[in-house]
Amino acid sequence: MEAKHQLYWGMLEVGLTNGPKMEHRLGDGSTSSPRTVVDRMHGDGYKAYQGALMPQGNGKRMVRRSGLTMPVVTPRFVDNAWKRGCDFINLDLEDSVPQRLKGYARGLIKDAIPNVSKGGAEAFTRINHDLVEADLEAIIWPGLSKVNYPKAEHAWEIEKLDRIITRLERERGIRPGTVEIGANIETAVGVANAHEIAAASPRVKEFGGATGYDMSRDLGVEMFVGFDQFVYGKGETELAARALNQEVHTAPFTANVTGSVSDPDRAYQEAEAARKCGFRVGGGLHPNVVDPQNRGFTPTEEEVAQAQILLEQYRKLVNSGESWTEINGLIIDQHEAARAEELLDWHQLCQERDRGKAEAVARVEEEAG
Amino acid sequence: MPMLIRRSNLMVPITDSNLLQGAWRHNADAVTLDLEDTVLDSRKEEARALVKDAIRVAAMGAGEVFVRVNKPLAQADIEASVWPGLSGIVLSRVESPEEVEEASRVMSAIEGCRGLEKGSLQMVLLLESAKAVWNIREIITVDPRVSQVALDESDLSADLGIMPLPDQDPFVYARGRVVVEAIAAGVQPVGVTHPMGTQARFPSPEEMLKIATDSKNLGFKGILCPHPSWVEPVNTALTPTESQVDYYTQVRDIFAQAIAAGTAAVPFHGRMIDVPVDDWAKDVLAMAAACEARDAQKREALAMAGGIVPEDERQD
Repeated sequence: MEAKHQLYWGMLEVGLTNGPKMEHRLGDGSTSSPRTVVDRMHGDGYKAYQGALMPQGNGKRMVRRSGLTMPVVTPRFVDNAWKRGCDFINLDLEDSVPQRLKGYARGLIKDAIPNVSKGGAEAFTRINHDLVEADLEAIIWPGLSKVNYPKAEHAWEIEKLDRIITRLERERGIRPGTVEIGANIETAVGVANAHEIAAASPRVKEFGGATGYDMSRDLGVEMFVGFDQFVYGKGETELAARALNQEVHTAPFTANVTGSVSDPDRAYQEAEAARKCGFRVGGGLHPNVVDPQNRGFTPTEEEVAQAQILLEQYRKLVNSGESWTEINGLIIDQHEAARAEELLDWHQLCQERDRGKAEAVARVEEEAG
Repeated sequence: MPMLIRRSNLMVPITDSNLLQGAWRHNADAVTLDLEDTVLDSRKEEARALVKDAIRVAAMGAGEVFVRVNKPLAQADIEASVWPGLSGIVLSRVESPEEVEEASRVMSAIEGCRGLEKGSLQMVLLLESAKAVWNIREIITVDPRVSQVALDESDLSADLGIMPLPDQDPFVYARGRVVVEAIAAGVQPVGVTHPMGTQARFPSPEEMLKIATDSKNLGFKGILCPHPSWVEPVNTALTPTESQVDYYTQVRDIFAQAIAAGTAAVPFHGRMIDVPVDDWAKDVLAMAAACEARDAQKREALAMAGGIVPEDERQD
């Protein structure tokens, strides 16, 4: 952990020494991205803030705003999945699959992976807590991005998954380290051991949970009671994820007293609130929530315009030698500039993701004639 | 392991004979005879001598009987309390696992000679400081006698040096930690939501029902009741309602049909029913049955003791 932070900050320090700041003036036709400009102008306070906002995993931040978890044994869900506009599809072998169909279900995954991802979605699979070996043998195939492991409670469970996945990647010609592990926290023991679980494998890249039906059953509580019952577990898992520089998979509390899984307005509100709290990962059970989540997790055009204006003002400010100012009641300083940059970066990633999906869908339709 | 049903635990100052003599009539799942904060220092000896008889009186309604001991006087208090009919000791101000081990040793030493099965006495621990909340895992896992753990928000406020306002809950983290760590350890978390953990007032039954229901929905399995008026609303709130029993009976039925049809995910009134929902339905129905069995025991005991005047008992 320490080394990673130092390396990241060290790289920025190199940037800082590269040339005079005035080189990157606003509106001068410079091709530098806003990030480069601000990076070079500022010290550690800014970078620490930026570090908190931007998980520095391997490569680019993943865009996983929306996703559907579906029983792999229900053909009408699986065959239509590519049309739903999701960033990911989570093929379920666990709680939505009857016990007697477990063997049949895992045999369907290999073909389902290309089927559900042909519209540009990533393909994930949720395995069974107690059937790890058999499930992994059946599902680790090219095209799979992530294995979701339910009811994670101990680091050794994740280490075991990692070993098996590493072997299967090697045997099946998959680039080492491709398949992520989603360590789903769904019990009190999982919350109590959150940090060691999240730290157990570099394949864990996003982390969170501590809500939902399994968690509420373990705590012995009714869900949908109108207040936040899971605030402690969400806080613990978020802290673990942040401390490990992982993407946080959680959302702030928004009341849902009906328990509906298909309400688009609620889905939008929750996604927007989550994004504004710094969270980027969505997912659900009903096609109705896919588009609202894609929208809610993507910055609006108005927010993008505001962020651009803020950065312009900030650059003017820095060029004038000041560190902060107030315009129309809003503070403009390095923290707000970092926030604006993060928003623009994220917006760009979302647009790229949407383009990628649109192209994939067009290809499928073209092939179909 | 049978399900532990200890929804209401009525605290009674052992030196207040009126409250003590009436304690069994209130339908509490447990009665705790207090030797600690509600007993004046000058009366500690006298209080100790009352325990043996008080256990018998307090148990007349089939409530379990506990004694809350003084931490600095724990050994003498425990020795005065271990008699047939006692379910366990309430240990307050716990801050370290060593204190729990020490109390357990004292119990182990005398259980046998007082006609109790060795290891049968339980412990209910009260956490009252930042240190205790921080060390909860070590404290509650050190001894298998620990069956429940509670957060005393009033004393915790003193430890933190704060005076909480009724509409601002400063214990979200502490309460959440107690619930999660207790359940992770297989110990029942006991407690009540803000502001009733810090306020020495007596709410209306409706308000208490609401607060106790919220407490249940945070994960608490029981509530320590400083006043008899809390007992009924607490019992009601911590028992599955008839409509919940109806609903989850339907859930089980719908889910069984879905399984027969080849899926374990089925929509029901806008919700998605899958394995954990069906599992929870089983839990709720089992809990309802266990509560009903416990209530039947108490009803029977109350009916049998109904004709006995408590004051007469006391003259024995």
